[in-house]
Order: sequence, then structure tokens, then C-alpha cells
Amino acid sequence: MRNYKISRRNFLAVAGTLTAAAALTACGGSASSTVASSTASSSVASDSTPAAASGTGKVTVYMPSPAGLADKLAEGFTAKTGIEVEQFQGTTGEILARLEAEAANPVADVVILASWSDGLSMKADDKLESYTPENADLIVDGWLDDDSVLFGYSASAVGVIYNTTVFSTLDADWKDLGNAEYKDQLAIPDPEKSGACKDFVAGYVVKNGWDDFQAMADNGMTVPGANKAALEAVTTGEVGILVAGVDYNAYSSKNKGEPLDIYYPAGGTIVNPRPAMILKTAPNMDNAKAFVDYLFSDEAQQLVANAYLLPGRTDIKCDKRSNLEDIPQITPDWDKMMAEASDDAAKINQICGASNG
Amino acid sequence: MKQTNRKANLPLLLLAVVLIFLIVCPVGMIFAKAVMQNGRLDFSPAVQTLLNPENAHMIGNSLLLGVLVVLLSTLIAAPLAYLFSRTKFARYRVFDILFMIPFMTPPYIASMGWILFMQKKGLLQQLIPAAAGCEKIFFTLGGLVLVMSLHVFPFMLTMLKNAMLNIPSSLEEAGAVFGAGFSARMRKIFLPLLSGNYAIGALLVFVKTLSEYGTPSTLGKRIGFEVFTTEIHRHATVAPIDFGSSATLSSVLVGICLCMWMLQNYITTRKSYNLVSGKGARRVEQSMGKGATVAAWAYTVLVLLIAVGVPYFSVISTSLINLRGYGLAPGNFTIAHYVELFTENEKGLSALKNSVFLAVTSATICAVLGTLLVLAVRKSHSKLRKVVEAIGLLPEMLPGIVLVIGIMLFWNQIYNILPLYNTMGIMVLAYVVLFLPYTVQYVTSSFTQISDSLMAAGQVFGGSPVYILRRITLPLIRQGIATGWMMTFIIAFRELVTASLIAPPNTLVVSTFIVREFEQGSVSVGMAMAVLCVLFSTTALLILNTVIDHRKVH
Repeated sequence: MRNYKISRRNFLAVAGTLTAAAALTACGGSASSTVASSTASSSVASDSTPAAASGTGKVTVYMPSPAGLADKLAEGFTAKTGIEVEQFQGTTGEILARLEAEAANPVADVVILASWSDGLSMKADDKLESYTPENADLIVDGWLDDDSVLFGYSASAVGVIYNTTVFSTLDADWKDLGNAEYKDQLAIPDPEKSGACKDFVAGYVVKNGWDDFQAMADNGMTVPGANKAALEAVTTGEVGILVAGVDYNAYSSKNKGEPLDIYYPAGGTIVNPRPAMILKTAPNMDNAKAFVDYLFSDEAQQLVANAYLLPGRTDIKCDKRSNLEDIPQITPDWDKMMAEASDDAAKINQICGASNG
Repeated sequence: MKQTNRKANLPLLLLAVVLIFLIVCPVGMIFAKAVMQNGRLDFSPAVQTLLNPENAHMIGNSLLLGVLVVLLSTLIAAPLAYLFSRTKFARYRVFDILFMIPFMTPPYIASMGWILFMQKKGLLQQLIPAAAGCEKIFFTLGGLVLVMSLHVFPFMLTMLKNAMLNIPSSLEEAGAVFGAGFSARMRKIFLPLLSGNYAIGALLVFVKTLSEYGTPSTLGKRIGFEVFTTEIHRHATVAPIDFGSSATLSSVLVGICLCMWMLQNYITTRKSYNLVSGKGARRVEQSMGKGATVAAWAYTVLVLLIAVGVPYFSVISTSLINLRGYGLAPGNFTIAHYVELFTENEKGLSALKNSVFLAVTSATICAVLGTLLVLAVRKSHSKLRKVVEAIGLLPEMLPGIVLVIGIMLFWNQIYNILPLYNTMGIMVLAYVVLFLPYTVQYVTSSFTQISDSLMAAGQVFGGSPVYILRRITLPLIRQGIATGWMMTFIIAFRELVTASLIAPPNTLVVSTFIVREFEQGSVSVGMAMAVLCVLFSTTALLILNTVIDHRKVH
């Protein structure tokens, strides 16, 4: 009997805390417990910000890595124009999924993606607004598409990243990486999670076929994960070489003092412009255009260079990484690459998985 | 008679409406994507997706993984549950929380910890060079099962322990009087009494394993072990985005889980023993010899060492290492990453605040809603009750991403009526929907042991329904509600998939903060945050536990 009484008190104490907490959280609480009654809807509406309202002093930008750059761009833009930036940072996949889920109630104004081909497929879906940004004449040739809907404000390239405690120097071409001396020392980012890697694989396969990648797979190449997870495997020395690793990550780690180095093999790489895009459905269209203008300003382009990315303007040079003219390139045939990129990415996973498993 | 029946059904109907709005509508939205093409009903793409021969292989993998994880987590949890409910070990309440740590650890962090520890030139091989080659043993299906079991065994442990606490010692003593030895008593008395609750625990672990994404996408991917959930994620987040295919594929998962649930129901109804009734029940500590005590301690320490020690050794050392490329080397340690968390910018702190808010709110709402649901379901005798219960469990059977996308589709559709999307409110709502099943399961489990005669007694003595609920029912299921609250708190605190899709702009929670650091910043800073989070949730739960215990004493 005694036991019973105590447990009741005990329960009441817990219940009391719970109710208090529930009462504190007005919006969540009312949403889930009173949704059945229509009278509650007004109270819900009053404490949520109307995301679709236009003409307010904000712009909503969805952008991928690097986070530091995204934050600085947002800060710089706000300082210059007074327009607040609401950002959603995520991987390309998360951004695309979010856009799709919001189709009935568009929220985003500007979308930035990490690979040109992802931009091209947005364009193919006819979702993008055409605009000519300020300083358009200074943009690297080809980084502004013919319809002026993709704005390549920065770019990355993939190269070979290697751990200097495993290989003191390295300059093997892509096709040499299938050689026995690199057995079980190779990794590649998952091309289904890394747009830059995916576009490179497509570009390389369009030009040279599958032999070299097959040789690397037979050499025990692993797929540790997206860009950063793959770089991890090389940083910690699990493998010595990252094939098709994104360059800006490597430069930033190297400058921190990690035992890493990067080079662009003579066989050429794909330089992948990172497109900013204005959505046709942008609730804050004018602010969106102002943001794209800002991306090509001196200040923003300098921020891009400081983040170890290639600037989108020809007149901005970087001193902490290879400049565009020093990178051997494969001339991209985007149409052909687009057509097979997804299948190629899946195939990389398949041939590397098969050799591991 | 009819009148009372209808009365009893009214709360159930209300709940059904709420659940349909919260769960069925979003799920319906995403499934509509699978079968509606250009506004017309068309099942052919869905059928095509389902008939893809690769699916069978991946479903096979998922099922195999599920079964193996259930088996291994049972092996880990069962002895612990016995020790910590029936012997003097039950007094060491601190272990209740310590055994929760593996579950508090986000799956992607735990598997990263294991990978960093076991990989070639990993931490283990840096400490013990002779361990070279161990990666060949670890990076296999066995390693994957081990890591996943270590993550989910707390579910099994709490479920079994709560059930064992309610078995009166008199039953065992009766067996002893009739000459049954320890193993005979276990076999004939103890285990049969538990089978109903075990079925619930096994279902929970099985379903959790099937819909888990974090570990298969990191460790599973490494060993080329593709499961169904990774495929579902692929359709939802790899261009071309195709929510329809995700939904179609997850319907297979839901089908499997529903079958398992019905099997569990069958077992639980047949093997329910009303152990908590009007008769006084007492628990006598099983006495232990010196040898048994030593063995018990050894086992407890071993489990903690593997489940908590290994991953946290990796996580903590990574958070303290200055340059990752030089590994565990003298002079290569720093606390700068922790300092950075608080000084660099306010993001880390605000992420922590958001997560605490979400965890407390959603756990609380879940506890209230889930308990109401179970109460209403148990009161009613209409056919509706099984449907309502199934809806309440549906979120657990679907991979999180499918439900989250459904919620996003639905709430964007009705944005003009209820502008909840892109506020913290939508996050709370999503978490409540996702985690409701935990409360339902824990409360159901504690109900299976309560005899109806107790409520009947209350009625006989003229207690009003409210009085009976307040004085009899709730106190008896208190433990289940509290455990459900705690589980929801933990899982909401560290949830990743939901937060990474549905979080409003400029809003980070701890999990998204950690992943952003992994992807774009410093792994070490991410790990530092992970360490702080586990310290935080462990301390919070310890305090909570102490408060509850303290009240019990007085």
C-alpha cells in the first residue's frame, strides 16, 4: 500500500513537469493536440513566420558546402544591402529533395549546387529564371550558359590527393593508378554523393572508356563515402591515394598542416563550375537578383578564392591554390556527360563494391 | 450497454482523427506520388519498381541483418536484464543510464568511431601494432551486426528489465519448493512469463534495424552490404529525385513490418500473464556466490567496454587530436576544438539549445499522446482499435526519410490553411509523429502485465473512471511512460535524417551541426560536439533518475 502511494506522487511529479514543458511550447503543442479542431488554426498561424510572404527584406538561399564560405557570403550580402539571408545548408541531395517537397509552396529564391550537371538538369526541368548579372563580361568563358540561367560563380576541380607519409611524392597519371604499386592504396568519393566526382567520371569515361577505372577497381579501390569521408580515409592513412578528390577540401586540410598533397594528372580533369540559380518561383525575385549580383562582386569573389575555390571571374586570381590556367583539362561535353552520369556513378559503386566484397 | 460502448469509442474516434491527420495524410501524400502520373492513377511505374530483381537481393540482406541483430542484441541484453532486475546489481541504478549511452550515440558517430578504431592504420593498430590485419575481420557482415546490435541492445534491455521487475519471486520460489533447479526454473517459469514482452522488444529491435540508415550507409557501404533503406534514400536524394519509387519500395518494408507486428501480437496475446494484480507481490534478490558476482561484474564491464569504450575512445581521441594525419602521437593533442565550439561562432550553442528544446517538447507530447492512444485502444472493443494501434506504430515501420518527405509534401500543400512549415513547430510535429511508437510500445508492454481485476476492483468500490485512471492505471504504467519519455528524449536529441531535411533555414540542431562539421569543417570539432552532447544527455538523465529515486525514498 505504501509503495502504491509513493508511485502516484512520483507520477504526478513527472506529469507536472511534462505538462509545464508542453505548455511552454505553444506552436508544437497546439499543432499536434488540437489539429482536429479548426478553432486552433488561428493561434498556430499567429506564432509562425509567413515563409511565403514576398517583398520582405530577405532572400532564401539553399547552398551546399563549404559552410564557412556560405556564412561569409550571407554576412557580406546583408552588410551591403540590408537584406537578411535565410540559408539552408545541405548536400546536393538534401537540397534537391527539399525543393521537390516544397513544390506546392515554394520557399527558396536562390539555389546553389556543387556541380554543373545538377544545374543543367534543373534547367532542363524549366525551373530557372534568366538574368544577366553584373560583371557578366568578366565571367570565365562557359561558366554562364547560353540562356543565362546558370551562374558559375565559383568552381572546383578533382585531382589526385595523396598522403605524404605513405607516398613522399606522386605524379602518376590516371591510367597508371591501376599499376600494382598502388594496390589497396586507392579510394574514390562516392560519385552518387559527390557531384564533382560524378561529373569527372562521366567526362573521363566519355573520352577514354572504362578500362582505367576498371583497372583501379581491380587494384582494390574502395568507396569510403562522400567527398569528406573519402578524404578522411587518406588523411588518417587508411589508404594512400584519393582518386578524383575535390581540390578545395584538400587545399584547406593541407594548409592546416595535414600530411596531404594534391596534383592534377596530365590526362586532364573536369573543372566543375558551381552554379547559382534563380528559381522562377522565387518569392523574393528582386532580392534574388541582387544576391546573384553580389556573388560576382569583388568582395564575394575574393571570399571564394579564400575558400580555396576557383573564382568565377577571370580577373580574380588565387595565391593559395592552382589557378585555372595551370590545370590540365578534359574539355567537357556536358550533353553526353549528362546522359550517362547517373549510370556511370552507379557503375563505379558496383565495380568497386564487387572487388571489395 | 450500447450506450457505454459508444462512449468508450468516442475518445478512440477522436484519436483516430488526430492520427489520420498527423500520420496517414502525409504518408498518403508520398504514396500518391508513386501511383499518380500526371493526375491519373497509374500503377505501372510502381509495379516496375517493385519487380526490379535487385530488390529481392536487398530485401534479403535487410531481413538477414534484422534477424542477426535481434539474436545478438538478445544475447547481450538478456543476462544484463536479469542481473539488473533480480540480483543485488539492481541497486546500482547508475547503470540504467550507462547502458543507455550506446543508444544516445548517433549511429553515424558510433560507426565512424568503430571505423576509425578498426581500420588499417587505425587507432587500435597504432596502439597495438600486432593487431594489423584485424580490419579484415571487422569489415565484414559480422562487424556490421556487432555495431548495430551494440546500438540497439538498450531497447531490448529496458524492455526485458521492466518485465522482469514485475515477476513476483513467489512464482520462482514455488518452483524451488518443488525441487526445480536454477535452469529448470528459468526454462519452465521465468522465460515463459517473459515471452510476451520479449516479442515486443524483438519487434522493436527488428524494425529499428530494418529502417536504420546511419550504420548501413557508413559501415555497410564499406563492405558492399546494400540494404533496402539505403536504396530508399538513394531514390529520395540522388538526382533524378523520385519520391514515388522511395514510397513504393518502402511499402515493401511496411508490409514486412506489419507481418512481424501481427506475429508479435499473436505471441503477446497468447503469452500475456497478468503478473500485476491485487495480490501483494514482492521481489527477493537472487543470492549470488562470490564466483557469480565476479563473473557478473566481468560481463557488465566487458559489455560497457565494447559498447561504450571502443567508440568513445575513438570519438574522444579524435576530438583531441590536432592533426589527424599524425594520429596518436605525443605532442599532437589539443583542446582547441572544444574552445572553438564556444568561441568561433554561436552556431554550436544555438544547435544545442534547439536540440534540447526539440527533445523535451517532443518527448513530452509523445508521452501524453502515446499514453492516451494506448488507454483508448485498451478501453475499446471495436474493430477500430487495431487500426488505430497500427497507425500509431506506422511511423516506426517506415524509413524516417519517407515519412519526413510525406510530412513536408503535406504541410506545404496546406500551407495556406496552416502555415506551420518552415517553423520550429513543423520540427516538433515531425519528431512527435516519428517517435510516437516508442511510447506506444513501452506503455503497451507495461500494460500486458496488469490484470484487469485491478481496474474492476476500482469500479466495484465506486471509483469514477477518472479516479481509476489517476489512482490505479497511471501509477501502474508509470514506469513504461517514463521509459518511453526517456527513449524519445534521447532519440530526438540526436535525430539526423529528419533534421537535415525539414529544419527551417538558419536552424541547426546538434546532429546537423556535427554532420556539417564532418563534411565541410573539421572532423575533430564535430567529434568534440558529439562528446559534449553525450555528456549532456547522460548528466540530464542521471539527474532525472536521481530525482525520481529520491522521491521514491520519501
